[in-house]
Amino acid sequence: MYMTTGPWVWVAGVLTLAIYSFLYKDNPFYKVAEYIFVGLSAGYWAVFLWWNYAYPNLFEPLGQGNYWNIIPIVLGLMMFTQVSKRSSWLVRFPLTFVLGVSLGLQIVAAVEGDMVPQLRGTFTPFSEGALFNTYDFWSSVGYIVLLVGVLATLTYFFFSREQKGPLGVTSRIGIYFLMVAFGASFGYTIMARISLLFGRLHFLMADWLHLLG
Amino acid sequence: MNLLDKLSRLDRRIIFLTVALAVIIPLFLPLRLPVEVTAPVKQLYDVVEELPEGSVVLMSIDYDPSGAPELQPATISIMRHCFRRNLKVMVLGLWAPGVPLGTRALEEVGAQEYAKVYGVDYVNFGYRPGGAVTLVNLGRDIHDVCRQDIYGTPVEDLPMMEKVKDAGDIGLVISMSMGVPGSDQWIWYYHARYRGNLATAQTAIGAPRYYQYLQTGQLVGLIGGMKGSAEYERLVETPGLATVGMDSQSIAHLLIIGFVILGNVILWLEKRRKA
Amino acid sequence: MRLQIPLIIILVTGLFTMVTAFIPAGPVADLNQLFRNWYIGIITFFIFLGTLNLVRVNGEKIKGKRRDWPYSIIMIASLAIMLFAGFYKGRASMDEGQPFMYLYFNVQFPLESTMYSLLAFFVTSASFRAFRARNRQAAVLLVAAVIIMLGRVPVGSLIWKGFPDVTEWIMQFPNAAAKRGIRLGIDLGLISMALRMILGIERSYMQ
Repeated sequence: MYMTTGPWVWVAGVLTLAIYSFLYKDNPFYKVAEYIFVGLSAGYWAVFLWWNYAYPNLFEPLGQGNYWNIIPIVLGLMMFTQVSKRSSWLVRFPLTFVLGVSLGLQIVAAVEGDMVPQLRGTFTPFSEGALFNTYDFWSSVGYIVLLVGVLATLTYFFFSREQKGPLGVTSRIGIYFLMVAFGASFGYTIMARISLLFGRLHFLMADWLHLLG
Repeated sequence: MNLLDKLSRLDRRIIFLTVALAVIIPLFLPLRLPVEVTAPVKQLYDVVEELPEGSVVLMSIDYDPSGAPELQPATISIMRHCFRRNLKVMVLGLWAPGVPLGTRALEEVGAQEYAKVYGVDYVNFGYRPGGAVTLVNLGRDIHDVCRQDIYGTPVEDLPMMEKVKDAGDIGLVISMSMGVPGSDQWIWYYHARYRGNLATAQTAIGAPRYYQYLQTGQLVGLIGGMKGSAEYERLVETPGLATVGMDSQSIAHLLIIGFVILGNVILWLEKRRKA
Repeated sequence: MRLQIPLIIILVTGLFTMVTAFIPAGPVADLNQLFRNWYIGIITFFIFLGTLNLVRVNGEKIKGKRRDWPYSIIMIASLAIMLFAGFYKGRASMDEGQPFMYLYFNVQFPLESTMYSLLAFFVTSASFRAFRARNRQAAVLLVAAVIIMLGRVPVGSLIWKGFPDVTEWIMQFPNAAAKRGIRLGIDLGLISMALRMILGIERSYMQ
């Protein structure tokens, strides 16, 4: 994908083949490559986090007199107390702070960012005759299908009553909508995996072996 | 052992070999199949086309090397489009491993191809940890979240950022995303509060989930997978890796459909044999 | 105290964040922003902790000469090399052309993308062996998948001009309908679980 020169492209090529050797069977070359990846990845995250955030936003300002930064640093360091059983209870302080902030945001986001717009989007096409005036035939059919599908899918997940009679029929319609969605997801998943495979094989053919023009 | 038994016990390594050949052969014998543009991609293209010159486009690089074949071509094409239209590009990443990919794309397209000036026409703020929480802060006060760029330059020293203070100063946000944190967080936490134009480029695995947001108008465009990237390459008239990949993608899909049909034929024949 | 104070923290921060989401300006909003900045500061230590745990677990594996222990040496060596490459020149270690970036683009990048690309082979094998239409619902799934797979590649429009349009219609309407239904259900569950945790009813995270 990126044209590298010299021995590094050979390093990339050999490591690629080491991973693909797993397709024949599990072997030491694959394991070595796998463990190198884990170590490198962990090191990468630590370096990036330090230079992109921890140093410029926490420690450097602290050194320049912004003493409020002591609070997140101390709470963050408390995370390390979990290595010892005696002091691991201290982890609860930073954990509950972090959870409180994120859960509070999550509740608002779930309603404001997801539920309300999604419900609005389901019913808006039916307002003011838009279905007949604004959209073309297949879109109008589609919006009816959308409304039926949303209600049917929600019915499928409703377990507070036995699913029989009209509830049962609606639930079974919901299953078919779910099958269409899962089929779509499967098709897209195939697409994603083949794209990845193309990326690597293109690298091997073009950048490593120079077999392509 | 008859043919039916042999087929149902087919060594999977033969299947592996066929799929590899299905991807490799079109590289040497290209079909050059035309790429048709779909509405969600065209919508995003039109939004970028209609932005006034000098508008700021924020691109969030929320993917890692495993998403690069699908999303890097889209990142490059969108940057090309923005620079061609003299829009300003601001890059940041919610995923640390994606930052070098975004940085390279910026330098190759912005600096080398279009001779744009760093700090004036484009800026790179690198990795911003915190996911959803960072986005809530970002919309309110960009300078608080992006205090320094990826090179350590304070935000006050970047001319482009003088008038870019909050969400109201951003013309378009595009999340190039493959998971969490990513487009979901941009939609639920950023767009819900601050509105504005938001689009997403997704790996194909995630793309089906975002049609519901396109329908509500929470997204103004959606690029799905390598095909979506190929469509955008076609719109900006600069075919790249995604376009090249469409031939391999086509043949591989036909092969897999063939395997699915074959598997079901075997099932049907086995049922008939038992009956 | 070891239980009460953390429960008070999650209650206060949770309610404060929820309520002040609707106050976009002023000193309350500034305090909210400060809390969020502290959140980001704290979670950076999660990743440093993860790195430390990785070293600790593999170190114990090497010490006890457990299964695959030589590979753990390779892992720790890779980690050490990446950390050295990332710190030896200060911030400039991450500049283009430095060893850190060479390691990223020529070792980490190919390893990660190749590892995920392995799934292409397994998903093809699974399509042959396991993707069987044993009932009507599975048949619907199969047909939808085949239509999508043909509609999303250029060869599909060569077979039939209508494939791309049918694919887009399926994605925009029946697919979106089901995904929306699932999403609404998840949202209700998320809200319920989040409230339970904020109010201290759910405490399993403190074990």
